[in-house]
Amino acid sequence: MTDGPGHPPVPHPPPGDGALWVPPARLSPLVLLIDPVRMLPSLFLPLAGVLFVGGFSPSSFIWALLAVVGSVGYAAVRWATFTYRVAGDRLELTRSLVSRSVKTIPLDRVRGVDVTTPPLHRLFGLAVVRVDTGASGSGKQEGELDGVPLPEAERLREILLRRSRTVRGDEPGAVAAGAAPAGPSAVPVRERVYVRVPWYWLLYGPLSGAFLFAPFVLAGGAVGLVFQWGNELGFGDDLPIAVGEWLWQRPIVLVLIAVMLVLAMPVAGGVMYAVFNWNFTLLRRDSSLVAERGLVTRRSVALEHARIRGYEIADGLLERRAHVVRLWAIVTGLGDSRTRGQLLPVTPRKFATKVAADAIGPFEAGLRPHPAAARRRRVFRAVAPGVVLAAVAFAFGWVWAGLVALAAAALGVALGLDRYRSLGHGYDGARLSVRSGSLPRSQAVVERRAVVGWTVRQTWFQRRASVLTVVAGVGAGSGGYPAIDTGEEQGLRFAAEVTPEWITPFLKPE
Amino acid sequence: MTAPLRDPAHRVSRRAITLWALEALIGFVLLVGLSSLAASWIAGSGRRFLPDWLTDHVWWVPVALAVVEVPFIVIEPLWRYAVHRWELSEDVVYARSGWFSRKWVFVPVSRIQTVDKEQGWFERMLGLATVEIRTASHAGSSSIEGLDVAVAARLAEDLAHRAHQLRDDAT
Repeated sequence: MTDGPGHPPVPHPPPGDGALWVPPARLSPLVLLIDPVRMLPSLFLPLAGVLFVGGFSPSSFIWALLAVVGSVGYAAVRWATFTYRVAGDRLELTRSLVSRSVKTIPLDRVRGVDVTTPPLHRLFGLAVVRVDTGASGSGKQEGELDGVPLPEAERLREILLRRSRTVRGDEPGAVAAGAAPAGPSAVPVRERVYVRVPWYWLLYGPLSGAFLFAPFVLAGGAVGLVFQWGNELGFGDDLPIAVGEWLWQRPIVLVLIAVMLVLAMPVAGGVMYAVFNWNFTLLRRDSSLVAERGLVTRRSVALEHARIRGYEIADGLLERRAHVVRLWAIVTGLGDSRTRGQLLPVTPRKFATKVAADAIGPFEAGLRPHPAAARRRRVFRAVAPGVVLAAVAFAFGWVWAGLVALAAAALGVALGLDRYRSLGHGYDGARLSVRSGSLPRSQAVVERRAVVGWTVRQTWFQRRASVLTVVAGVGAGSGGYPAIDTGEEQGLRFAAEVTPEWITPFLKPE
Repeated sequence: MTAPLRDPAHRVSRRAITLWALEALIGFVLLVGLSSLAASWIAGSGRRFLPDWLTDHVWWVPVALAVVEVPFIVIEPLWRYAVHRWELSEDVVYARSGWFSRKWVFVPVSRIQTVDKEQGWFERMLGLATVEIRTASHAGSSSIEGLDVAVAARLAEDLAHRAHQLRDDAT
């Protein structure tokens, strides 16, 4: 259920000068239908208990009915006492149950608006709107509107993101959609779909290793459920234990179960992955980049374009074999960018690079390799732990452990060489890029203007090898993107190339 | 050959040597104390999960640590004093720190978000202060330790003032 091109134009937003009073709005009353259904699982057992204990007498039915009415009433009271409004330059969420609490979110703090539609909500045409304020860590600062009609959700997203821009006074600049100054002139939503990921690319999912442990988690959950509900359903605690003992005495069955679980890993993982990434769509709506995904729960994450500073491309060992990658946006003030900033599921590399170039910006230079000393260091660091372990194991006389450690050390050679091949850095005049890693290899591409400073590190060992690590400090994403083990000249020339005015005054005169 | 960077202009205060020596001394006492505790526990427990030759001579561990550590109480502060330097020119803070490993930072004043002057317990005793410079990124932030209080106050003031003038909200 994506929003097609036939999306209705945004209604007039309330005037923005804050002098006018905007009436507070309520969530859709349809949430009253959703809330009790969601509470059902937790109500089920007590209700069943009441009925059983009461022997299905008329009075027990009355008690059960009271409980249901009570829960509906509670939901109704919660609904009636909660209001929200966009007033001037802030979003106010008011809950006045016993005491009155007002949560105020200044619009210039709004980093992104996240609209999700869980299955029940979708049934009633509702959505959950989450307002991301980029507050560090705790989710307390964020606002949640659980149950607004979809058009209202779209309108809110529109208003919140546009207001957050005008309040901050950012220029509309490159944003073609024209972030209208907070006037009454409504700008129709402009959409441009960059990509809809075809379903068969979801088959690449298992390569990323996502959800591989799903079968174990599901089996564990089932066992837990049996323990929890066993009593209520009347088999008592002994049954699961008896089953366990029965299994324990037949190890073959146990092994079979384990093998089945392991075999189920890629399949179940793939299915979960497909459910989460179903019909993945990346589009531009006004001045936000919107990623929509999901089969059961449809999730839509809007990233304000003016806050995107670059992107990160990652691929593991298997993924590299298949030439597929994953793509994230590097966004200022977005916590948890690895899940929220996701721009594409696992897709072919060429395709992902093109999408990144279209949606954010191309990186047009090659990556320069790092000096041979870097190779020595990578290999040494990958091999050394195995060798040390082997030495310790042999010293203690554990021959087998020693042999295993030696084998690990031998694998370390390949790993180290691969890690060296991954190293690289480059600058194309607008964006800089650094790459490192092996098992997960990742390349970051960051705009020049996002760099807020440089840190150069050199350990004693690096000094002996005449290499150093140059870290570009960036106020977005993980905060710093390192070019590991560059040559001494090379690394500083890289920094000086990106921001000459900050580095050249301090270079040694030739 | 070393990195092709010139030395930053100013050294930190000479009293910083005392500060670092005090800190190293505390580290030394903690390390030797804790390892002695561990050694007495191993010797007293009578367990045989370690080979005999190790259990019998376990008291060598804290002694060896102490012997190895002692020279560093002197070397580290002197070495640090030689390495730690800073300067503010062309609206960029350029500072070098470390001893065994080194770190250079380049923080343009236009990207500074906050400047703090901080004093720990020892620093206050010695009339020293640390200037903390924060940007939107931890990798672009830095702190200059061991400055004379007056110097630190002036630097913090200058930086805050200039940062306000140059404020560039790119991030």
